[in-house]
Amino acid sequence: MSGSEMRRINPELKQLVAEASQALACLDADRLEELARSCQALNRELPNLQREERIELARQAGAAAADMAVFGRVLEATRANLDVMNRLRELQMGRLEYGQHSSPPPLPVGSLHGDN
Amino acid sequence: MGTISSAFSMMSSSLDADQAALNVVANNVANANTTGYAVETPNWQENQPISINGVESGDGASETGSTSQRDNVLLQRLDQQQQLASASSSRLSALNTTQALFTPDSGSTSSTAGDIGSDITSFFSSFSSLETNPTDNSLREQVLSSASTLAGDVSNAASSLNSQRSALDQEAAGSVSQINALTTNLAQLNQQIQSTSPNGDAGTLEDQRQQDLSQLSQLIGINQIKTDNNGLEITTTSGQLLVSGNSSDQMTSGKVDGVTHFYLGTTDVTSQLAAGGGSLGGTLTARDQDIPGVLASLDQLAYSVSTSVNQLNNSGTDLDGDNKNAGNIFSEPAQVAGSAASMSVVMTDPNHIAAAGSGDGTGDSSNAALMANLGSQQTVNGQSPINYYSNFVTTLGSTVSSVQTENTAQNASVTQLQTQNDSISSVNLNDEASAMTTLERSYQAASQVFTMLNTIMASVLNLGEQATVS
Repeated sequence: MSGSEMRRINPELKQLVAEASQALACLDADRLEELARSCQALNRELPNLQREERIELARQAGAAAADMAVFGRVLEATRANLDVMNRLRELQMGRLEYGQHSSPPPLPVGSLHGDN
Repeated sequence: MGTISSAFSMMSSSLDADQAALNVVANNVANANTTGYAVETPNWQENQPISINGVESGDGASETGSTSQRDNVLLQRLDQQQQLASASSSRLSALNTTQALFTPDSGSTSSTAGDIGSDITSFFSSFSSLETNPTDNSLREQVLSSASTLAGDVSNAASSLNSQRSALDQEAAGSVSQINALTTNLAQLNQQIQSTSPNGDAGTLEDQRQQDLSQLSQLIGINQIKTDNNGLEITTTSGQLLVSGNSSDQMTSGKVDGVTHFYLGTTDVTSQLAAGGGSLGGTLTARDQDIPGVLASLDQLAYSVSTSVNQLNNSGTDLDGDNKNAGNIFSEPAQVAGSAASMSVVMTDPNHIAAAGSGDGTGDSSNAALMANLGSQQTVNGQSPINYYSNFVTTLGSTVSSVQTENTAQNASVTQLQTQNDSISSVNLNDEASAMTTLERSYQAASQVFTMLNTIMASVLNLGEQATVS
């Protein structure tokens, strides 16, 4: 893969990382899955990189360090939010199973059978 | 009830229920753009069965009102994250203003307060120049001129920092009336909710209460505790009561040593509010920690430079032949605190610069050489003046960067929670299950991206190093 091809697939790591943070903030799952596929493709290409490409990518990795820190913190916050939502779901399931029936209590058996 | 009318009643009941449900839908649609409005779902209640000619039949369903689909766990989490995001936003805004004082704008070599780093270098370099020709008047003038530039820029920076601190103080003091208005309103809403819906959802009243809580969360850090009869107790994050039932504790403020302090009852809660979150927390952190920290560093620089230069000047011989009595170049600070603001050049006659060593002739320059060397000696907290200043600017930049990272992450978290809340509470087509799936998918995909990027970066950094050394 030539340097120009690499840059076409992955213009700047910094940009990619920032976009991932943004997509995660907006919960754009489709875009994140696309980015994951791009990263997988890039990872596969790593052993085939030319010397200049490696140097260029190393420069990009250095430049993207701060954005990775942001992405890491957004991921951490998302994990916490997911925990809250899961806890919420458990509480709701609990409510469904154990209480808060809106229907009135069952009538006496005699009334149900129309004995009177 | 075994009559035909019962059957009609059953049908009619179902129709009424449908109509009531339609009304709820209409209400949702009408309020789709109302901020804080939570979607209402009709509550259905099965009626008692009826018997017609001995045959048991159900009596349809009745619509018994509506319940807003809000979830307090999620809303509390949203409020909590909003408090953190607001705090870091206001702190970041203040830090950016502070940093602009010391960092030249892009394309410029000078910042708002000049370039103190260059000033330090120029000042000590002027002694090196004087060393080459200690009797040259223009070189002596140059020493005083560069000293004035350094002192002016340092005192301007200190003055700007003090002004910024005063502005933040005013901003913080202005929050009190907003906080009190909100807590008063929340107490009134509590009363209304407890009297109208002690055991159920209070609909729009709860929407209003949630909106007020959200606004309060943007101002200060709070805890929410559900109480009996659908009430809400609100405290600061450190536990001071703000609202209990239908009463609110009003916050007051007063000046202590020229700085606004905040009270609940007789308790000074200023430091707790600073740590608690919300925009007031961020503003107070900037006012009481960040800016004083920057000022303290600047004071230390000004104090060390002034005292060390003055001391050397008073240990040499000036052009008039005064030995060990040439006088001060800078105003002599009595203490470290306030040194930056008061830094100035008091020497007016360049002949009083003691370039010569003690007891040496006026053509000697050994003392000028010693003063030039002060620039590289560890005279400021174990560092040279230029290194001290450089580290100070770097530390400030690192603090700004770290708060920026936190702020970005916290805003992202608020956006996520808002998205989740919208899918549950607002009027749209998404349901909660779909929202959860999206959240989980996003997290899984983002985790993959993060792990993959970490691997790639670690690999390419190694590859890059190998490539550059080979």
